[in-house]
Amino acid sequence: MSGSWPVADLDPVRRLRVLAGANPGAMFGETVLDADVERVWTVASDLEVELPRLIHDIRSARVTGRSGDRLELLAVGTFGQRARFDVDLRPGWCWMQSRFLIGGLAAVADGTGTRVAFLGGLRLPGVRVLRPAMRPLVAGVLRRLAADVG
Amino acid sequence: MAPDTQLTALVVAAQRGDTRAMNALLDRLVPFVGRLCGPIALDDGPDAVQETLTTVFRQLPRLRDPAALFGWVRVIAVREAVRIASREPHVALSDLPAPGDPQLATDIRDVLDRLSPEHRAILVLRDLEGLDERTVSELLSVEIGTVKSRLHRARGNFRKAWSR
Repeated sequence: MSGSWPVADLDPVRRLRVLAGANPGAMFGETVLDADVERVWTVASDLEVELPRLIHDIRSARVTGRSGDRLELLAVGTFGQRARFDVDLRPGWCWMQSRFLIGGLAAVADGTGTRVAFLGGLRLPGVRVLRPAMRPLVAGVLRRLAADVG
Repeated sequence: MAPDTQLTALVVAAQRGDTRAMNALLDRLVPFVGRLCGPIALDDGPDAVQETLTTVFRQLPRLRDPAALFGWVRVIAVREAVRIASREPHVALSDLPAPGDPQLATDIRDVLDRLSPEHRAILVLRDLEGLDERTVSELLSVEIGTVKSRLHRARGNFRKAWSR
């Protein structure tokens, strides 16, 4: 049969919602920023600059390896603790995983603005109980990102 | 067909909580689910894809045979797409176009708009997925006679309704 069957897509924010559902230990939040998606992603995807700004528990972040859209990143915490992250970074999409932590950031055009979503969490059994404590982290990340692109 | 060892490894890793494997698995599943949900859920297609994949990843630890992944996902996708598309009341034709109907070739979207979500699901499973009537009836939990009647009684009524 010829013709064009409609195909549905999963944009990056929806993709992050799916992974939030798959990781009950993670906190998830989203908002709409008054800036276009190119501007937002230029800021957000500069991980070495932006991660310490967005997440106050991270003192520094350094990309130590890169192969296509896969990165290795070393993060150093405020108390000197170190975490090596495997990162998938593409336009509108960033997913990070270390031994104990996961993080995700997604952006998609929404009218003249940009819908952004953030996910952060622990990769440990039973961490659902910690979710309320992580809620301010998510709200803070989205608030600081809005300030950085503004 | 040889087993897809890379896919099996991804499923097993995702079941163990490797979120990068989940991410890679999404890369494999999104086009497949999008092809199923698009023609059934139409404008609600993105909602259907999201709901399907949320269900898939929540239930993934229970999938015992990774080789059965795509068949298992197909069942969830079609059911979610029909459920989501059925949220809105609609007026639909009661019959389906026959395979190769010229109307399908000229404007699939217009044909789909005139069908109920259940009829769209049958059409997708038959014409896109190439499934036989028995498999379609099992997948949609409807009698095989219902599938047959919708598929084979269709042409004349469909053409009449179409031309109104």
